[in-house]
Amino acid sequence: MSNQSVIKMGSEAKGPLGKLRVTLARRTEGRAVGLFIIIATVVTLTQPLVFTAYQVTLGRIALIGLVALGLTAVILMGELDLSVASTLAVSGVIMTVVANETNILIGVLAALAASVVISLINAFFVAIVGINSFIATLGMLFALRGFALVISDEQPVKLLNVEFGIAFGQPILGPLTPRILIFFAVFILLQVFVTRVRVGREFLAVGGNRQAAYDAGIPVKRRIFTGFIISGGVAALAGVINSLERTAADPTAGSTVLLASFAAAIIGGNYLKGGKGSIVGTLIGAASLGMLQVALTISGVQVPVQEIFIGGILLIAVITDPSSLRAVWGSINTVIQGLKNSRAK
Amino acid sequence: MRKSRLVLAPAALLSAAALVLTGCATEAEEPASTGSTTEAATEAEAETFNVYALLPQGSDQAYGTTYLPQMEAVAAELGINLTITNSQYDADKQASECEIAVAARPDGIILWPAVGDAVRPCLEAAAAAGIPVTVTNSDLFDADKDLSRGFSGPDTYGQGVASAEIMCDIVGDASVNIIQLNGSIGNSTAIDRDNGFTDTIAANCPNVTILDEQNTDWTKATAQQVASEMITAQGLENIQGIYAADDSIAAGAIDALEARGVDAADYFITGIGNTFMGNPLVAEGKLDGTVFQSSSWDGGNAVRLMHSVLTGAAGAERQLLLMPSVKVTMDNATDPSVAPEW
Repeated sequence: MSNQSVIKMGSEAKGPLGKLRVTLARRTEGRAVGLFIIIATVVTLTQPLVFTAYQVTLGRIALIGLVALGLTAVILMGELDLSVASTLAVSGVIMTVVANETNILIGVLAALAASVVISLINAFFVAIVGINSFIATLGMLFALRGFALVISDEQPVKLLNVEFGIAFGQPILGPLTPRILIFFAVFILLQVFVTRVRVGREFLAVGGNRQAAYDAGIPVKRRIFTGFIISGGVAALAGVINSLERTAADPTAGSTVLLASFAAAIIGGNYLKGGKGSIVGTLIGAASLGMLQVALTISGVQVPVQEIFIGGILLIAVITDPSSLRAVWGSINTVIQGLKNSRAK
Repeated sequence: MRKSRLVLAPAALLSAAALVLTGCATEAEEPASTGSTTEAATEAEAETFNVYALLPQGSDQAYGTTYLPQMEAVAAELGINLTITNSQYDADKQASECEIAVAARPDGIILWPAVGDAVRPCLEAAAAAGIPVTVTNSDLFDADKDLSRGFSGPDTYGQGVASAEIMCDIVGDASVNIIQLNGSIGNSTAIDRDNGFTDTIAANCPNVTILDEQNTDWTKATAQQVASEMITAQGLENIQGIYAADDSIAAGAIDALEARGVDAADYFITGIGNTFMGNPLVAEGKLDGTVFQSSSWDGGNAVRLMHSVLTGAAGAERQLLLMPSVKVTMDNATDPSVAPEW
C-alpha cells in the first residue's frame, strides 16, 4: 500500500506545482510554510492591524521566538530543556540585582555567566550522568524558580536605571527595537552555526542516530554541552531583554514562555526526537504563532479559546508529518479492507 | 492528492473557525443601529468608545468568572466596545498586549497590572499616544500614579481595618494573643491589608497582642502548613485567635487548628474576601468575620470609571473609586446582599 502512495507522489511531481509540493513535503519546514501562509491569509482578511502595526507583531514574534531559537539547538539533538523558562526568570533577576549595585553591562554579563553555569549543570546530568533530559531539566526548572524567588526576596526587583530601561524598549533602527534586532541577530548566528559550521551540523547527526554519531567519531557529549549552553544562553538573553524593557525583573516570569517556545519549534517542523528540524523552521513557527496571538488578542478572544487555536495548529503540525499521514492512511486502508473482506464472506 | 486533502482539511477548518470567531468579535463591536433615525445613530456613534481592558486573569480564575460578565454588561450599557486581554499574570505578555492596544489607538485603556513594578513602559507608551489609562483592582505604585487617570477597586487598606474592627468587637476587653497570616511577600494587597489590620489593632484594641506573623502564598494548603508551624512554635495554649489576610488562608488556619483536636469556633478568627470558601465558615461560626469583596462591583466600576473619564464627567484630578468594605459576620452571612461571588 505504501508503494502505491510513493508512485502517486512521483507521478504528481510533474509540473511546477507538483515540484513545489514535493519540495515542501521534503523540507522539514515545508508544512510550517503551508501553515504560515494559511494563518497569514486569514489574519490579513480579518485583522489587517497585525500587518499595519507590524513592529508590534514583530515584537511578539521576538518575545516567543527568541527562547524557541535557543531551544531548537537541543531539540535537534533529541534533547529537551524545560529549564529555559526559569533560566529566563533567574537571569532577569540576577541582571537587575547586579545592575542596581554596579552597572547594566556587568549585570548583563553576570546573567549570561549564570546561564552558562546552569547549562553546564543541565548538560552534566544529561550527557555524563545519563539522566533523561526531560527529568533533569524539569528538576532544574523547579530549582531555578525557587532560586529566583530567594534572591529577589519573593518580589519583583525594580531596575534603578529606569531611563535606560525605557530607552531600551524604543525603536533604534526605523521601527525596530533592540529586542527585534537581537532576535534576528540570534537567528542569523544560529542558522549559520547549524548549517555552515561543522559543530552545528553535527547536532543533527547526534539527534538522528546517536550510536552512528559515536561511531563516526563525533564527540557527542561535547555537542550536548554546546547545545545546552546555547539554549540556556539565549533564554538568559531573553530574560535580560524582558527585564530591561519592563524596568523590573519578575521572579515568576516566563510562565507562558515554555509552552509557546515548544509550540513554535514544533509548528516549525522540528522533530522532538531529534535529527530533523531547522532554525528557519522555528522562525516560521514563531512567526505563525506570533501573528495568530496578535490577531486573537485584537479580536478580544479569551485565553481558553486562544489555547484551542494554538492547540489546533500544533495538532495540524504534528499530524501532517508524512510518517503520521502514512500511518493514518494505512490504518484507514486496513479498516476498509477489513470491511470489504467481511462483506465478501 | 489524498494526503494534500488530509493536510488542508484541518487547516481550512481552523481558518474558517478563526474567521467566524474574529468576525463575531468584530460584529459584536459594531453598535446596533439598524432601523434608528439618523440623529439617533449619530448620537449613538458619538457615545461609542473603543476601550482595551488589559487584565491578568479572566474566565480561567474564580474572581474573573464574575468580574468579566459584569464588566461586559456595563460596557454594553454605556456603549463601550471592549477588547479584553488576559496575560495570565505574565508581565511580558501584558507588556506585549499593551503594545498591541496602543497600536490599535483605542479611546482608553483599563489596566489591571500583572506585576505593579513592570507597567511603567506601558503607561508611558499610552501617555505618548494620548490614550487615557485607568487602573482596576490593584492600584499602581505612587511613582506611576500620575500616568493614570484613576483607580477603581477594593480598598485594600480599608479591608484590613474592617477585619481588625471585627476582631476588636468580638474580643472586647479580654487580653488575647493572636497569630497573623499574611498574603505573599511583596504583594501590594497583602502589604496594605497588613498595615490596615495592625494599625487598627494598635489604635482600637491594644489588648490584642500579635505573637507572630508569617507570609503565605494565598493558598489554603500553604496556609494550613504555615499555621501549623506557628501553632507549634507559639504553643496552642498561648493562642486565642488568628488573623488571615484572605478567606482561603483562614480556611487553612482553621484546618490546622482542628487537626490539633480543638474546635475552631472557640477561637477569634477573622479573614477577608467573603468567598465561597469563607462565607460558609462564617455561617458555621468557625470564622468570626470576613470582609466582602465583590468581583462584580470591581468589574462594573472599572468600566464606569473609564466612561466618566472619556465623557469628561471625571475631573482633571486622578479619580478614586473604592469598593465599600462591608463586614460579614454570622448575623448577616446569609443575607442576599453579601452572597459570595467567587
